Amino acid sequence: MLSFILRRLLIIIPMALVVVTLTWGLIRLAPGNFYTGEKKLPPAVESTIRKKYGLDEPWYKQYGMMMSNVVRGDFGDSLKYQGQTVNEIIWRHLPYSATIGILAYLLALGIGLLAGTYAAMKQNTVLDFGPMSFAMLGLSVPNFVLAPVLVIFFAFTVYLLPPARWGGPLSLILPVVTLAAIYAAYIARLTRAGMLEVLRSDYIRTARAKGLSDRTILFRHAFRGGILPVISFTGPALAALLAGTVVVEKVYALPGLGDIFIKAVLNRDEPLILGIVAFLSILVMVFNLIVDISYGYLDPRIRYE
Amino acid sequence: MTESLETISSGSPWRDAWKRLRRNNLAVVSLCFLAIMIVAVLIGPSILYWATGFTYDYTPADRELVRSMPPSLLHLMGTDDQGRDMLARVLQGGRISLMVGVISTIVSLIVGVSYGAIAGYFGGRIDNVMMRIVDVIYAIPYILIVIVLLSVFGGPSTPAWIKWLSTTIGGAGNQGLSQLFLLFFALGLVSWLTMARVVRGQILSLKNQEFVMAARATGVGTFGIIFRHLIPNALGPVIVYATLTVPSVMLTEAFLSFLGLGVQAPYASWGSLADIGIKNLAIFPWQLVFPGVTMALTLFSLNFLGDGIRDALDPQTRKF
Amino acid sequence: MARQGYSRVFKGIAALVLTAFVFGCSPPSGGRYFGKTEPPKDNVLRYITGAEPETLDPQIPDGQPEARIFMAMYEGLVEYDPKDQQPIPAIAKSWESNPTLDEFLFHLRDNAKWSDGKAITARDFVYSLRRGFHPDVISRTAQLGFFIKHSEDLKSRNLFVKKNGEFLLAKDFGAPDKETARIGPETEFSKFLHSPARLVLNGDEKKRAQQLAKDPKLAEAVQGAELVPVAPEDIGVEAIDDYTLRITLRQSAPFFLGLFAHQFFRLVPEQSVEKHGKNWTRPQNIVTNGPFRVKEYRPYDVLTLEKDPNYWDAANVHLDGIEFFPIEEQSTIMNLYKAGSIDAMQNHAIPSSWIGEIRNYKEEYLNFPEMAVAYYAMNMTKPPFDDIKIRRAFTLGLDREALSSFRKVTQPLYFMSPTGAFREFDQALAKVSEEKRIEKGISPEEWAKYGKFDPEQARRLLTEAGFPVQKNGDNYACPSFPTDKVAITYNTNESNRSIAEFVQSQWKQHLGITVPLKTMEFKTFLPYFKNLEYDGFAQLLWSGDYVDPFSFLSLEYGKANEGGSGFYDQKFDKMLDDANSELDPQKRNELLARAEFYLMEQAPVVPLTVNATNWIKKPYVKGMYPNPGTLLPWKFVYFERDPAKWDTDVSNIFATRDPKFEKQLEDLKSTQNAPVK
Repeated sequence: MLSFILRRLLIIIPMALVVVTLTWGLIRLAPGNFYTGEKKLPPAVESTIRKKYGLDEPWYKQYGMMMSNVVRGDFGDSLKYQGQTVNEIIWRHLPYSATIGILAYLLALGIGLLAGTYAAMKQNTVLDFGPMSFAMLGLSVPNFVLAPVLVIFFAFTVYLLPPARWGGPLSLILPVVTLAAIYAAYIARLTRAGMLEVLRSDYIRTARAKGLSDRTILFRHAFRGGILPVISFTGPALAALLAGTVVVEKVYALPGLGDIFIKAVLNRDEPLILGIVAFLSILVMVFNLIVDISYGYLDPRIRYE
Repeated sequence: MTESLETISSGSPWRDAWKRLRRNNLAVVSLCFLAIMIVAVLIGPSILYWATGFTYDYTPADRELVRSMPPSLLHLMGTDDQGRDMLARVLQGGRISLMVGVISTIVSLIVGVSYGAIAGYFGGRIDNVMMRIVDVIYAIPYILIVIVLLSVFGGPSTPAWIKWLSTTIGGAGNQGLSQLFLLFFALGLVSWLTMARVVRGQILSLKNQEFVMAARATGVGTFGIIFRHLIPNALGPVIVYATLTVPSVMLTEAFLSFLGLGVQAPYASWGSLADIGIKNLAIFPWQLVFPGVTMALTLFSLNFLGDGIRDALDPQTRKF
Repeated sequence: MARQGYSRVFKGIAALVLTAFVFGCSPPSGGRYFGKTEPPKDNVLRYITGAEPETLDPQIPDGQPEARIFMAMYEGLVEYDPKDQQPIPAIAKSWESNPTLDEFLFHLRDNAKWSDGKAITARDFVYSLRRGFHPDVISRTAQLGFFIKHSEDLKSRNLFVKKNGEFLLAKDFGAPDKETARIGPETEFSKFLHSPARLVLNGDEKKRAQQLAKDPKLAEAVQGAELVPVAPEDIGVEAIDDYTLRITLRQSAPFFLGLFAHQFFRLVPEQSVEKHGKNWTRPQNIVTNGPFRVKEYRPYDVLTLEKDPNYWDAANVHLDGIEFFPIEEQSTIMNLYKAGSIDAMQNHAIPSSWIGEIRNYKEEYLNFPEMAVAYYAMNMTKPPFDDIKIRRAFTLGLDREALSSFRKVTQPLYFMSPTGAFREFDQALAKVSEEKRIEKGISPEEWAKYGKFDPEQARRLLTEAGFPVQKNGDNYACPSFPTDKVAITYNTNESNRSIAEFVQSQWKQHLGITVPLKTMEFKTFLPYFKNLEYDGFAQLLWSGDYVDPFSFLSLEYGKANEGGSGFYDQKFDKMLDDANSELDPQKRNELLARAEFYLMEQAPVVPLTVNATNWIKKPYVKGMYPNPGTLLPWKFVYFERDPAKWDTDVSNIFATRDPKFEKQLEDLKSTQNAPVK
């Protein structure tokens, strides 16, 4: 087990470098440049820029320069936001995204697991459809619709919550609920499916035959296997949440990473894109590793050689 | 065991599944709704044009009519800012949204299921390499992929088969549509990844079970085991996930439209209509309500139908 | 099992939803003002300025959001008049110029200080300008100042040629040489600037080789000569003494004085830039000289400024601070405004769908013509738009009155320059227009429509150009027009889309041609547009850098212009040159107006709309005016705490009297109006 974890951890770094390489290639294929703007730059300024950032060098040299910086963990300065380093930007905005993201995921887990489990046990009854319909709201209404509707209601009709901006726990409620809505729906459906699968399996039948109570069967036996699909969904979902979510950040004017990343792509801010992508890819892979490990614990049928 | 034996009476497992599905009221309602929806978006625009002369891009010549009007007998869903009939736009938008959802999901199903199953079954080094490839692609921002795809293949260098598709479906001179087909392709390319992970997880937990060993012992080949024994048994989560992919792809398309990478005006999709509608909510609520409700009901039905199919395909389905 | 527990949860949720609904049905707190209206208690203005600033270095970025922030943090020689953006005294208390308007003498006040207490002298201006034009400084606005002598040479790393200890002179190689009058005392440096111009070679090696290859005499003279790079010390900026600054231009530029208020010409602190390098803009290092200084900076969240006690005019700064929020999402801005969390916002902030409601709040809604326009450039390098008839046909086939009434706040545009933004120019335009009418000999009624919306003429032109338009019942059709070779390309944006859809339907209706639409993400769009790869039409939005029609006409000036049509016409260039060497403002405007008419006959663009300011402010915010560039001098802004004195009708805000504001402006202007000692 330990050697399995070690091997997977070791491979994360080269994989992140592969991701960075491919991303770099894509940025170079995309039209436009970080300095192309509405108004034309004097040719002299343009050539100064090209010289400064080594854009006149052959591509393999530029790639080499980029890679040697990335390997050292130094992504350099943002091209758009001059004088700010990429690392500084990521670490400055991660806490905002992380707070919203983790809170939203916890809320989504609560709602999703509850609704999904309940629905699985009451399959094909009103008690199945009721909670599921509620959970599925988030999957049926786009969050760019849900967010403004929530704002209109809670900020301007009942005057309970601020409409936007970061500040105080009250301001977190709407973004967290908006974000949780989608994930709750996903989790509810995955839980329901997973639980149904498990509830008919042999070991549950054995447990029932032994005369164990419903509650014991559910929480001691079925739950462990039933939430496997949720676990496998959690890895990428949590990583995506930590990296911020664009719509919620835009509508609620939050300084999270998601909006910054989209802007970086639209601005062709290469170091910032690469920095966030590298960070995110490591995050995804670490979470996926954790998912795989927890699979081993939750499902005794899986072995890691 | 006895309960389930009743349900598995005779004939092919698919016919049984269909029987079970028909017993699920909600799934049947959903199926009917979806069928009506599909028929509506396919032939609705033509009927509407025949009856009223409205199309998704018909703007009245009278300047007074170029404004958003509330629903009336003439315009059942009202009109948008340009005076265009909302019903025509919702129908045409549904055509595009459903197409985006279905085509991308099929791409993701085909690629994701085979990929995940192979990785999960073989395990070991093959699994390792294949899953690491998924991780790598997963980490590349899809927006970047879409921008590059659309700019490299959009415009003068659009591949011939995409041009052919768009002129076949949309009629001659529909440049806007070729971008849409690139979009299907791009979205399909990025949405198979999670599918592959889900399938692999399922296969991992299934492949050590008795029925697989039994099949192997009776001499069934590797691919037979994967495609005839493992995948059908993993179909539950796959179908759930596929019906999750449809709405998520539709929402992604809406987000890309918002960035200018989605459907080209004057075409619309439900997502882009809702995006415009939400901005006008305070004054012209019908601009959100009709596309929004249509979209929400469709996604609702898709989700419930997905659950219904899952339950129906589950060969041992029974009440707990 | 556990059913009771769950049902309790659902009952709870149901109860919550129900209560919320009951609350929700309570009547909205409608009133005279839009949303919560209450001056903030702490005398700190809360303003939304759009995008996150790229940097706090005033010489680097070219965006409007930054421009507004810089106006609070930095000051230059002159400031924008809050109402009409004309220059008013800032650190320069007065100025004068020579008769040919190519040399300016600024008299600085002696009590101006940096935020660290250091005195501001003329040398700070010399430092700032030399830095801004330095080739290593990546400034996106430096080209605005290229009228300053040798500044372009410095930026382009151009070279003087020295042979036998003497610099070669341009006049010996065919360049015209004109004498210019000096203003102020004669110095060594002024002798250099006013002696015959030196010969300058291109800094780029390839281009220099071309330059030399073209002119054998030049190549021969340069042979064996020493090439001396143009140095920062050579540009036409001179500190005559601590409080007198002289700026010399390479040619007369009547509009140039107005540019000195631009962010590029504001001061940067030598003491901080030289010490901290690229880190000088960090809050712990930054030194400013404007009415406000940095208190706290949380990127993407808020930039908090506070009143700077060291500012020379601190007594007349009314606010204690300003919070700038970088928010772009229009509905979010409106929500914050409605909730009373902000006091005012940037221009174009109101979504078009909200305008109908917002324009009823006449105490708050500011809708005035802006120094910004929208065109469709036509690609003249590709058929069919190389044909002037086709270009004119599409221009005439668009009802721009209808477009503007559809867009609600814009005004129709028939020229290159925004109508309504330059009063004197508009008068000159009217005069020239009348002359043209008499020349053509048509009635005033006909002339009023001439060249505006004339679908019949448009169809005739198309037919003449070889694309006959047929009448098909109520509709028109033009089947031979190659619609696969044209498109309206625009960068993605709600209002661009809405304009494009409207124009598309207009042309379909009047010309029988359905031009496909093509939207692109901005950075994909830019090269596609600038390299003239687009087919047919591409949208160009342009906002003026200074209050002069030349800021717009120059879009089509010269070979490498930014108009995006591939237009180049020597006759037009000559007309503009003549206008700019005309010193009498009225005559100059007339010459520009003639150039304007000539340009419209060539039809390189379809002018669409003059944009509107389109923003709102709370009625208690005073001293803030919707000028054509939305450039707000913050020291005039104050909160009126007495509701009786709040704004009642801002549709005539420019004419409404505000004694407090007027006195402040008069006092400030008095130093310039007073005779120079």
